[in-house]
Amino acid sequence: MSNKAENHYKKTTEIFPNDEKTPATILVVDDSRVVRTYLQSHLQKEGYQVIEAKDGKEAIELLSDDIGIILLDLWMPEMDGMSCLRYIRENFPDIPTIMITVSNEVSNAVEAMKYGAFDYVTKPFNPSELLALVQQAIRTRIQAKRLRRVEAELIKSREHEITTASRIQQTLLLGGRPKNLKGMKIGDLTIASKKIDGDFYDFFMINDTCLDVIVGDVMGKGIPAALMGAAAKQHFMGALFRMARISEAEEFPSPEEIVSEVHEEMIGRMNELETFFTLCYARFDSSRKLVSYVDCGHMRTIHYHSDTSTCTLLQGVDMPLGFPGQKGFRQILAPFTDGDLFFFYSDGLTEAKNPKCEFYGEKRLTDFVQGHAFLEPQDLCRAVWKDIVEFSQTESFSDDFTCVAVKIEMPEPEERYNQEWKLEVPSDLGELGRVRSLIRDMCKGLGSNLVDDERIKMIQIVATEIMTNIIKHAYQGKPGETIAIEGKTSRDEIVLFFYDWGIEFDFASAPKPIFDGSREDGFGLHIIAHTADYVRYSRDSSGKNCACVTFFLQRRG
Amino acid sequence: MKLFAENIDGIMVISSLPKVLDASNAMEFKESISRIIEQSSQAVFDMSAVQFIDSAGCGSLITTLRRIKETGGTLKLCDVRKQVRSVLELVRMHKIIDIYNTREEALRSFSVEP
Repeated sequence: MSNKAENHYKKTTEIFPNDEKTPATILVVDDSRVVRTYLQSHLQKEGYQVIEAKDGKEAIELLSDDIGIILLDLWMPEMDGMSCLRYIRENFPDIPTIMITVSNEVSNAVEAMKYGAFDYVTKPFNPSELLALVQQAIRTRIQAKRLRRVEAELIKSREHEITTASRIQQTLLLGGRPKNLKGMKIGDLTIASKKIDGDFYDFFMINDTCLDVIVGDVMGKGIPAALMGAAAKQHFMGALFRMARISEAEEFPSPEEIVSEVHEEMIGRMNELETFFTLCYARFDSSRKLVSYVDCGHMRTIHYHSDTSTCTLLQGVDMPLGFPGQKGFRQILAPFTDGDLFFFYSDGLTEAKNPKCEFYGEKRLTDFVQGHAFLEPQDLCRAVWKDIVEFSQTESFSDDFTCVAVKIEMPEPEERYNQEWKLEVPSDLGELGRVRSLIRDMCKGLGSNLVDDERIKMIQIVATEIMTNIIKHAYQGKPGETIAIEGKTSRDEIVLFFYDWGIEFDFASAPKPIFDGSREDGFGLHIIAHTADYVRYSRDSSGKNCACVTFFLQRRG
Repeated sequence: MKLFAENIDGIMVISSLPKVLDASNAMEFKESISRIIEQSSQAVFDMSAVQFIDSAGCGSLITTLRRIKETGGTLKLCDVRKQVRSVLELVRMHKIIDIYNTREEALRSFSVEP
């Protein structure tokens, strides 16, 4: 290695501290062997490593990120310089490309620069001019590389920051589901779009029969939105405690009083920060069977009515918190009955888009909740998420995804029934007929004025579908396993319990029915859901699965 | 499962269907019926004997319909009992299979169509 080359080598390794152990590589592309040889010997003398290609096609095969710069002839037989340049710009935009042209065709080289060529040199070459240009191009390349590295580091450190913030949010900002609630069950699910979000929710147990649910969505995303959500949550907690103390002897402050108090406290700062949040504050009173809520521009909460199997949407009249000029909040009352379900959600659900850019929408969400209201609340949240993932064909949404489901439980059946009936059958499809006839006998015992033949047939079909599912799926067709069936009847209803000790039933992964004649299976769950008045699937810690179906004998209004 | 078919002017009419069409015999039914429909592409199932059907039973009808359609034929149902019909409607099969009140109506519909 010559002295000069050694110097250059040092220089290069200094500039490429991490990844450059060798001198910068120059790709020379020219159809003339004479030109290639000239450039190679000249550039190698200066300490550069040179690789050669005789046309555009060959050059493309040699391209890689290891190449420092490219000297590219404009006129070549197989793939000319312009086409080759276009390819380089698209695939390796960081590699500076110097065009080689003859002196009477400079206009073409200038045209090439419009397409992103770094510069051009004319043949015959002026050695010092060529070298200066090469050095300048290599410096540009080094800077580009360094920039990419810094960018990557920046992204990495930002990701780390967000992951930490996300962990804090998960543990501090999202309320823990209250357990051992009397007469209510809660499910919740939140998935942030950028790992951390402005959706927040919390639960407050007011007393044994009263539960407050707060669901909010701060404008914007990322850390600022999450901090705003945290602040809002803290204000609600503070307001609740303060107001509870003041009104110790009297009734607990109402949702509208609490929301007003928080709004008073926060409005000044929120105007300064130019932010706002939507909110639904709902109080479930299971002793009065009444929900009282204040809705401040939040998504309309879905209320599933178990007696009619229909849904209504709860909508308030107030503006989001943080909107100036808001005076007083209005509380709305809605009655509920046993088996009802309330579904709170953020706009991330309804505004999820499919590849055709259609929204998932409120209608689709309401229909889905209505069709799956029999699920346990936590399973319902997961099933909704799965349905939206299937719809949008992605698991990463552009907006935060938060939902909370509150289910009013049916009272425990034990106290109400005057007749009970038990049966154990082996897991064999041949038993279906026997189970059906036993169910008929049980129903007949109630008297034909309470349950007619048509109704009996519908109860039989639900039993058949549940039995078939247990045999085929829970026991995977294994014969000789046990299915325990329990029937409880009163003048109001018939409740059937099917127990098995097989694989847990995962509703979310069950295939959805397709009605166009292309599928012959997947109808069983649909038939069950649309025939029974109330369906519930559960599994206890010992691995016993239970499918419980209720048939009302007189419509309750 | 023994199924009997009458050939009425090239249309296969099957009336000896089982009383119950559920998960316990749907597979057997599909196999038995496939042997019969090989003989003619036009078929009518007289459903008067069927007192109970479940989702697997519906599935077996859909499979049969698909096989007949593959050969360019048609499957029609007639004389469907009320409870059976409500199950067929629940899985929206009345949208993909023509259902007639009587066997005569079903047979007549073939001659009306081009």
